[in-house]
Amino acid sequence: MATDFWASSHNKRWIIDRASLKQARSEDLRYVESPEHVDFLNIYFANLIAMLGKRLTLRQRVIATATVFFRRFYVKNLYCETDPFIVIAACCYVAAKAEESPVHIKNVVSESRLMFSQEGYGVKNFPSDNSKLAEMEFYLVSDLECDLVVFHPYRTLLTLCGREAAHAVVSEAGEVGVGIDNGPRYWGTGEGRLELEEGPLQTAWHVIPPPPSTLHSTLLRPKTDQIRALNRFIINDTYRSELCLLYPPHMIAIAAIYLTLVLNDKTREAIQAQTASSTPTPTPRRSSRTNTSSVHRKLAAAPQQQQDFVGFMAGLRVSLPTVAMIAQEILSLYTLWERYSDAAPESGLGQSAVGDTAGDDVVTPAFLTQLLLRMREARLADLAHPASAQPMAVNKRLERTQAAG
Amino acid sequence: MVDDWSQAIQHDVMRIYRAKRDEAHRSVTLKYTILGFISSGTYGRVYKAQSKDEDARLHAIKKFKPDKDGDIATYTGISQSAIREIALNREICHENIVALKEVILEDKSIYMVFEYAEHDFLQVIHHYSQTLRSHIPHDLLKSLIFQLLNGLLYLHDSHILHRDLKPANILITSTGIVKIGDLGLARLTYQPLQPLFAGDKVVVTIWYRSPELLMGSKHYHKAVDCWAVGCVMAELASLRPIFKGEEAKLDSKKNVPFQKDQLLKVIEVLGKPDEREWSGMKNTPEYHNVKRLDDSPNRLDAWCKQRNLPPLAINFLSKLFIYDPDKRMKAREALSHSWFQEDPQPTFNVFQHQLNTPSQLPPHRRITLDEAPSMMPAQPTHAQHFPAQFTQPQHLPGQTHGSGTSLASLSVGHGGHTRKKARLG
Repeated sequence: MATDFWASSHNKRWIIDRASLKQARSEDLRYVESPEHVDFLNIYFANLIAMLGKRLTLRQRVIATATVFFRRFYVKNLYCETDPFIVIAACCYVAAKAEESPVHIKNVVSESRLMFSQEGYGVKNFPSDNSKLAEMEFYLVSDLECDLVVFHPYRTLLTLCGREAAHAVVSEAGEVGVGIDNGPRYWGTGEGRLELEEGPLQTAWHVIPPPPSTLHSTLLRPKTDQIRALNRFIINDTYRSELCLLYPPHMIAIAAIYLTLVLNDKTREAIQAQTASSTPTPTPRRSSRTNTSSVHRKLAAAPQQQQDFVGFMAGLRVSLPTVAMIAQEILSLYTLWERYSDAAPESGLGQSAVGDTAGDDVVTPAFLTQLLLRMREARLADLAHPASAQPMAVNKRLERTQAAG
Repeated sequence: MVDDWSQAIQHDVMRIYRAKRDEAHRSVTLKYTILGFISSGTYGRVYKAQSKDEDARLHAIKKFKPDKDGDIATYTGISQSAIREIALNREICHENIVALKEVILEDKSIYMVFEYAEHDFLQVIHHYSQTLRSHIPHDLLKSLIFQLLNGLLYLHDSHILHRDLKPANILITSTGIVKIGDLGLARLTYQPLQPLFAGDKVVVTIWYRSPELLMGSKHYHKAVDCWAVGCVMAELASLRPIFKGEEAKLDSKKNVPFQKDQLLKVIEVLGKPDEREWSGMKNTPEYHNVKRLDDSPNRLDAWCKQRNLPPLAINFLSKLFIYDPDKRMKAREALSHSWFQEDPQPTFNVFQHQLNTPSQLPPHRRITLDEAPSMMPAQPTHAQHFPAQFTQPQHLPGQTHGSGTSLASLSVGHGGHTRKKARLG
């Protein structure tokens, strides 16, 4: 199970198609002016999970698991009918246990209260009572159908990038077993590992270096140190989107490797040199596409370089069009993210919540919290008034709960 | 009125959500008829139940203790052990592991619904030692161990350590299939974020605990389960635990003490571990304590011969009792051991050779009325007719149902010794 993704609950029950995902958000979309706002909420909540995770000193994998739990929960539920803040806290609490590094419920409650009450988030009524969070945990585990083992792209990365794994023991010890033999890969690839060098490739991949790397300068505008720390990994970044619901983790990892290869100056040049010597490239439409198509090409004529990146990608025996699609989605996530700023709560800057117009304005947490409240009010009004859905049923339910609690 | 309502909702947004979920919920008693109480432990209670579906299948429902704040049950967070057992059981599927049918979260309690198993290893041991007063037939013993290892191999291949293998936790269905149960102490060891020791200071019930654990190793692996299999096999052969030591209790600061008595019991049979054969021994925290213990010769061979084990079985057992965990026989190697190739070969139904002599078969699991506040339907004075529900033979013919011969409990130890391991953290 730990090694067999195909037999896992993750693969069997939690990879969903785009139509189901669209269906899950359709009600929420009724209450926002622009569909983009829901995407911004996706980024916002993932950031909150990451930040709460840091406060609780959770490892990156735990934060990733918490985010997946959160996404799964909202496949079944609506933003406008629930309180995402307590769901976030419960996701972190359960993920820590599921990943065998538990934190005390008391700490989760106090850290959540502290963080969410900050100006910029403006959540004033986070419950102080442990039992409220424990109750949410109960409902959350039930909605997750008790599927608590989650697969992440990190593992593929470490397996595919052979030498990297050795370095990672130092930098990212969390992802490496303690004296335990590694299981076989679970996606059935070709052979060979990608040898990552000490140079730009590794750094672009693992830690964005202080001098802006290609990726960073072209895709992300500079942010505060704290936020940049969160932006360090492409894979981590993918959790800001709903990719983890749509694609198996190894495909996301491969897309991230691919992006790293084509966005890093050195490796891009190597690939270009490798492909230039073979058949001429078709007219490029977009830069990323060029490289996608070149990846498809057989490497027969390629000169024997120290690293055969094209051959490596071709040898993976996964659907490269799908990899390209995921890569595109990651790029559009970065485009969207560029307009999001959550510098506000920590530094006290940028409290200027932007108006209702979506446009190209910067979106802040304060704006999104307000948006969420408005969505919720509008939803309540709809539920309460006979004009929309089935108000009688809802009222009855409500009376029952009021009588009960 | 709508205003009041929306205020209340803004105050506790999750009300609508909970109301929806509660309404959709199908309760345990709606889905299952509770037939009786099987056993209890630190985790909670186990009930025998029958599905109200058409298949009317039997189940064992494990109800985790609800957390209590005084007399009122409250939410205090799901325990690490419950999370583990649920998470692991949702992923695994193997013939020799008890299958989880579903988990129901209801009214602050967690109910895990498992397939029902009529017998367990401990019950078989008791049946032979108390009722039949004879050895367990060699074919039965071999089949039990073979299927146990088959299940264990699946767990280990899935990077799961069981960490609590003992006769009471290894079940057998009425059709003679061995099922490993109770994954409450099991854990996934693939790329752990913390050393195993950090989560649980003490693992494995003392009599089945491997030497590396007894000597305080903080890093360990599958071999701890393989040692436990050896202990279980020896117990099947002699009808009593082979290393029946006294557990030294944790001190007030919850430090783990040196398990001297248990180690002495091991050394009595196997002799003292030799540094030349187990180089890692020097690095264990209790190394110096062990060095001071008296030596004794290895008399496993004689021990086995007294219990009529054939030479290949002795060879097999001695490999499970290798001190060095890295050299100890693992599940895969064990399954291809020549003992299993030799006649009698292991059978699909472990009771294959006992089917013609039904008295050889262990009795059905005894169930009782639950004396504690429980999920049993309130039945005023039904003491006489209640047992009729469960003493009728269901699958196996002609059994003895004497209450003295069967065990009331799945996991509570026999012989007045505490078999429970301390759970910390």
